[in-house]
Amino acid sequence: MNAVEPFSVFDCSLVRRATGKVCSNLRELLEAVRSAPEAVLEHHMMRCALEDHFELNEFPNDLARWCWDALGDHVLGEQLGLVDPYKHPTIAALRFALVNVLEDRLWGLERVPWCRPGLELHLVESQLIAYDTGERVSTPAALVEAIERMSLRSLFFHVHEARRRTAGGTDDFSLWLESCGADPPLVARLRAIDFYFLNLSQLRQEILDVFRQHLLDATAGARAPT
Amino acid sequence: MKLLDRYEEVVGPREIQRLRQLAGRLAGKRIVHVNSTRTGGGVAEILRWMVPLMQELGLDARWEVISGSPDFYRVTKAFHNGLQGLPVALRKSDFDVHLEVNRENAERLNLEADVVFVHDPQPIYLPRFTPPGQVGRWVWRCHVDASRPNRAVWKYLEAAIPHYQASVFSMAAFTRPLACPMFVVPPSIDPLSDKNCPIPEKERLETLARLDVDPERPMLLQVSRFDRFKDPLGVIDAYRLLKPYYPELQLVLAGGPADDDPEGAEVLRDVLGRVGDDKNLKVLMLPPDAHRTINVLQRSAIVVLQKSVKEGFGLTVTEALWKGKPVVGGACGGITLQVHDYHTGFLVHSPAGAAYRIRYLLRYAEKRQRMGRVGHEFVREHFLLTRHLRDYLVMLFCLEGPCDGVLVG
Repeated sequence: MNAVEPFSVFDCSLVRRATGKVCSNLRELLEAVRSAPEAVLEHHMMRCALEDHFELNEFPNDLARWCWDALGDHVLGEQLGLVDPYKHPTIAALRFALVNVLEDRLWGLERVPWCRPGLELHLVESQLIAYDTGERVSTPAALVEAIERMSLRSLFFHVHEARRRTAGGTDDFSLWLESCGADPPLVARLRAIDFYFLNLSQLRQEILDVFRQHLLDATAGARAPT
Repeated sequence: MKLLDRYEEVVGPREIQRLRQLAGRLAGKRIVHVNSTRTGGGVAEILRWMVPLMQELGLDARWEVISGSPDFYRVTKAFHNGLQGLPVALRKSDFDVHLEVNRENAERLNLEADVVFVHDPQPIYLPRFTPPGQVGRWVWRCHVDASRPNRAVWKYLEAAIPHYQASVFSMAAFTRPLACPMFVVPPSIDPLSDKNCPIPEKERLETLARLDVDPERPMLLQVSRFDRFKDPLGVIDAYRLLKPYYPELQLVLAGGPADDDPEGAEVLRDVLGRVGDDKNLKVLMLPPDAHRTINVLQRSAIVVLQKSVKEGFGLTVTEALWKGKPVVGGACGGITLQVHDYHTGFLVHSPAGAAYRIRYLLRYAEKRQRMGRVGHEFVREHFLLTRHLRDYLVMLFCLEGPCDGVLVG
């Protein structure tokens, strides 16, 4: 294995700010998506993962959830659920994709769907404060142990947030393992995790499963007759 | 043992270490909290733990309390009601009293600090009367739902906001557009307080015996003031709808005495009238410090209700979830942030809806227990005081200036 810098474990926290803007119907949502600051879209499409705790949430972003739950527009909920913000290189591109879905839906409806009073979408923007925990990991085995016990916020930072930070649009774990000269199939498996549809606890489990499976495969390969 | 160390057992040593790391960058920062009372009420309850914990983390934190005449408190009680949209009648002289008391307190209190958190409307005009340069940044912390306030009250309070660099609300839904950033920091519970700490089984059984509640039979519980917004009559209706299916069911409505609240007394009369001679339905008047009794009741309930039609954050819901109880709650206010269908309980819109969901929960013990476990973890992650403290620390970073993406070493 190459000598590389140890992996630095970071943690992060969100600072949420209310914008004072509220959506009660689909038309207002469209207007909000068109004009809201980028930090609002970032929050409701990506950083909301930090607030999600349940295994059975149907949708990975606030907008899809609100359309499904509050507007009762299940078609739109499904369509917005499929808008993966990490596949868009910029927030402007993400905004374009969202506007397109919302406009298209609104175009085909005879009546604008409204939510019940009390179920309005209150737009929030957030700032992310990330900080070095001082914890250093020097080997892949130690990384597995670190992942097992790190906070869900750390996982968000090293997987979700890393997609937007790293040049290759990948997670910090696989990037570091690659730099260590780890097995390419392990790196590839980690990168293949479709994390957008997992909550953070499920994500931790899936990452650990990849490591476990890789170890099993490696052991089986070593035992196989040549 | 240091105060923070006591929380390690609940949230893990890493969480406490992270708080220390964050706070390390704020060491020595002078923070002052100002409110209107040192005892009683939710704000004092928060400051009682927050100030010592900030001090232990190395911040130079202090707590100042304003004082005023009975007339002042009459006016601020009206502000409190008006902020939440209740009709109030105020004269110009009332606003003058408020301003005058704020001026006196600004002269009397030691407010010299980097950041001053002004809690609720009582001291909101302190910045106007504080000499420039004494305070680095003013932050108004509004603990109530101010989304639909009385117009006159809001106009008066809003005029104080230009003195502030930021405001803090418990939920985005509780805000109104203001001319300063509006941070969102949900409230929290203290897992080690009398209200939430583990209770020995012997004490639990003794308390239930004293209250004449049968520990062997299922009990539904709602803890709330006797207030129409909490819909205690709807809770009784739901219980009655369930009785044919579960005749052994008990219902406890636990609230405070309504001596100084004419409307509360009227609601209580209606409730007692609806109870009739049902021995399985208990209406308990508990003193404000009956924290352990409430703790016992919450731990002994099979399902906890908070069937409000209007609600603030709903910390009684948080308390019940922490104790592993599924909650059936009205779909309003902070209840919607905490009760998630099939995960931590059910949101309902009517007494019939409450009865239906409770019947489901009584039928499926396994689902009830799973929801209880999920609810407990949900609170651990989102609504304990350690998260609350972390939110304040990161907010203090942000008050320094734009910091998105800045990595704190």
